Amino acid sequence: MSEVVAQIEEEEPEVDLAKADQVIDKYFDLPGNLMPVLQGVQDAYGYVPRKVADHVAERLNVYPSQIYGVLTFYAQFHLKPRGKFIIRVCVGTACHVQGAQRIKETFFNTLHIGHTETTSDLRFTFEEVACLGACGMAPLAMVNDDTYGKMTVQKVDEIVAKYSAIPLD
Amino acid sequence: MVNLTIDDKQVTAPKDSTIYDAARINGIKIPILCHDKKLKPFGACRMCLVEVEQMKGRQIPACTTPVTEGMIIRTATPEIIKARELVLELLLLNHPLDCPVCDKAGDCDLQNLAYEYKVDTNRFSDLKFQHEIDYNNPLIERDMNRCVLCGKCVRICDEIVGYGALTFIDRGIETKIGCEFEKGLDCEFCGSCISVCPVGSLLARPFKHKARFWALTNHNSVCGYCGTGCNLTLGVKDNKVLTTIYNDEQGFHKGQLCARGRFGYQFISSDKRLTSPMIRRNGRMTEATWDEALDLVASRLKGGNEVAALATARLTNEEFSLFRKMMLESIGSKNFDHSAGYAHSALSKGFVRSFGVSASPASVLDIQKSDLLLVIKTDSYETHPVVGFEINMAVKNRGVKLNILSDKRGKLSKLPGAKTAIHTPGNEVAVLNAICKAILDKKLEDSSAATIPGFAEFSKSLELFTPEKVAAQSGIPAETIIKIATDYASAEKALIIFPIGLAYSGHTESLASAAANLAIITGKLGEEGSGVLCMSEKNNGQGAVDMGFYPQDGGMTAQQILDSCVDGKVKTLFIAGENPLVSYPDSKKVKSALDKVEFLVVSDLFMTETAELADVVLPACSYAEKEGTYTSLDRRVQYVKPAIRKLAQSKSDFEIISQLISKIDGKESGTPAEQFSEICSKTAGYEGMTYSTLGNNGAFATTAIKASLVVPEYTPVVADASKLALVTGSVLYHNGTLSQHGEGPVHVCPEAYLELSREDAARLLINEKDQITVTSESGSLQLIAKVSPRIPKGVVFLPYHFPAAPANKVWSGTAVTMVSIAK
Repeated sequence: MSEVVAQIEEEEPEVDLAKADQVIDKYFDLPGNLMPVLQGVQDAYGYVPRKVADHVAERLNVYPSQIYGVLTFYAQFHLKPRGKFIIRVCVGTACHVQGAQRIKETFFNTLHIGHTETTSDLRFTFEEVACLGACGMAPLAMVNDDTYGKMTVQKVDEIVAKYSAIPLD
Repeated sequence: MVNLTIDDKQVTAPKDSTIYDAARINGIKIPILCHDKKLKPFGACRMCLVEVEQMKGRQIPACTTPVTEGMIIRTATPEIIKARELVLELLLLNHPLDCPVCDKAGDCDLQNLAYEYKVDTNRFSDLKFQHEIDYNNPLIERDMNRCVLCGKCVRICDEIVGYGALTFIDRGIETKIGCEFEKGLDCEFCGSCISVCPVGSLLARPFKHKARFWALTNHNSVCGYCGTGCNLTLGVKDNKVLTTIYNDEQGFHKGQLCARGRFGYQFISSDKRLTSPMIRRNGRMTEATWDEALDLVASRLKGGNEVAALATARLTNEEFSLFRKMMLESIGSKNFDHSAGYAHSALSKGFVRSFGVSASPASVLDIQKSDLLLVIKTDSYETHPVVGFEINMAVKNRGVKLNILSDKRGKLSKLPGAKTAIHTPGNEVAVLNAICKAILDKKLEDSSAATIPGFAEFSKSLELFTPEKVAAQSGIPAETIIKIATDYASAEKALIIFPIGLAYSGHTESLASAAANLAIITGKLGEEGSGVLCMSEKNNGQGAVDMGFYPQDGGMTAQQILDSCVDGKVKTLFIAGENPLVSYPDSKKVKSALDKVEFLVVSDLFMTETAELADVVLPACSYAEKEGTYTSLDRRVQYVKPAIRKLAQSKSDFEIISQLISKIDGKESGTPAEQFSEICSKTAGYEGMTYSTLGNNGAFATTAIKASLVVPEYTPVVADASKLALVTGSVLYHNGTLSQHGEGPVHVCPEAYLELSREDAARLLINEKDQITVTSESGSLQLIAKVSPRIPKGVVFLPYHFPAAPANKVWSGTAVTMVSIAK
């Protein structure tokens, strides 16, 4: 993990704290405001940059360590920038028996990223998930809110091509 | 009290206790890893499982279950033993079995429990953790591979220290303890986490591989740094103090220590200590025998008032008392003083005129019993960290309100609900007066206030201090002043706390009286949880005042002594343990005094900057090598006895002075114990004490007060808008200049710096760690810049402990010095 952190520190661009301040101002007087603030800043930045976490700590008078504890406890928080398109591949029981492992590996090989990793152009983030709740469509993948059932290795290439064609803003 | 049965024994326990506490107070031991009596129950380790009959024999954790009437508890049934064995087996599954090289071995709760429960095999197999060991700081090693996740370090850092360096990271089997973003530990380094760690995850690096735990002999002692009077246990091997050992039974603070107390012991056995007396011959320091040196010194201790003495407030009561006797009776000089003359004036002048006694009418124990604390300067945390812990606990655990008047923010400002009113530097007295004025205006004073001597004059003097006028001057809005006044007056019990010391030249008799007035007019005195607590900087600052080691009946103050060295009225100057060249204001003045005085004797542990100018240097010994008593800031008289033999040829100041007395007038001075009985026979409050009655916990000298209202002197600070207001002070890791010889504090805070606000830094284009030059009327100084959000615009803070960049080059002793800064 410490290597990953070193990476974040190197890569982390200057962040504009004004967005974080807006979120903090909104919840400032609410008791127990840490969770909504962290969720708010994650929505604003797409992830929780370290500088923002430190800023939240200073403004809310919460130990920075405590914030980090919360950020690492909940899977919903991300400490690294995430891709524009979040690819989720189900590896739950139904999908597993239908070959989810190969779907997953094909994504890995095509995008050269692993679980919870993001491509360097910030286009794709890959996540394997335990169940997406649509076992009838196994094996299943999702890209943001779009669902792709009955996945095949060929469809992986099609999906990657489709989303690669959309310009990043 | 409730009645319950533990292991077939009828016992009683307080209603609010847990099963664990009930068993402990009744002498029944329940094994546990995650519990410390200072911390809130947590229930993490599952070692303390017990069976409660009323709960259908279920196994429940003793440490989190409150007792109820008639509970029948069994702590060691075969099922419970089996459950505990399983817990240990699972812990040992991931815990590395590297006990042979672990410094914790012998003092390790996990090791001891595994031994007690004979867990010598493991039915499971799993990998050991592969966490990187944190060697990023010089004092605390963090090896998370050994961690059992009891969370005591996380909790003590939050609940008592209030720093919050550590947290649980991730969850499930991945959980580990660490700092934010997995960075290396970078905290206050009080080492509280080390003291409570049940395994070898947190270790004191200065002690690593120095000695096995069982090879150490433990010696109870009293910390030699600040005036709090913390008790500590020194771990000694081969006549060397190698570490401090945690003992949660010790002192009011239950073994809790700060960075310098825990890690600053190295000066005791330092190889830089002076080993032999030295005499300056033909301009060079040469070694001499004690007889030569003392004969020479005795021959110069003549001429009555031509002899003067300055002492550090770290001597024992016996030494102060004997020293005073030598000055008055053997030499016939009234010219002796300590702590630069002003650093004790809050007690020796301020409290004397306000309370009729030179001591605080409150104790550290009052902090947790109070309803509201009014702390003057956030530095109270830095000067007296363990008192700071008491404040943290009072605010966090007992909901005590905290109001702070300060010229900068500090750690105390971050406590929940703490209100910090920032005033421009040097205006404490005006603000306190304005608070009194607001109280009188709103008729919130105590009904007896008007009958107190001095009331009419005092209330008249307050006309100049309306909240509105003081608001303009101090920068604190009038409504804030009024709010502080109403908060203070309406609290049932309220305590005022302020530090004194060499670096706090503004904290003198006027501040003491201003604070005393506030307590007096509101009647917040004389009961538990109320009063005024003046915290002396050094470990025997209160004792020095109690022993009368300051000028009285026309004797010269420290500053007058220095002036008289220059004009020749003082011909011999005896400096015991003080290093005025670094720690007194205005180094030029001190230097010329020490250069010009005919004969300078210095007794010290080290060849200090001051000792280098001496004609005779006498090697003194540390607190760990001598017998005597120290009086803490709240007048707890505590006995210390030698933990080690005296290093090389060093002698205690008691021995030095008694031998000088015998050389001057042939009188014998007896032992420290005899001196102490003489002290007790004539010092108010000390009556009836003896070394044996002091015991391990010491005894409080009683303080009877007679309140009067005194108009405090106040000279408004003339601010210069084109310059910055420099305030001097102490940093957390240091105390006086002695801590410069403790490796621990120096590792963490090695050099002086100038702390300035973000606004000023941006305006002057100064970045963190830039080399800057500070210039005042008295001189200039090169320093490293530290940009900090806690400093208000227009103010800079300079710590004073460092000989390499002595603050006294730019600081002439005024409370506020106007300076300019250049890169």
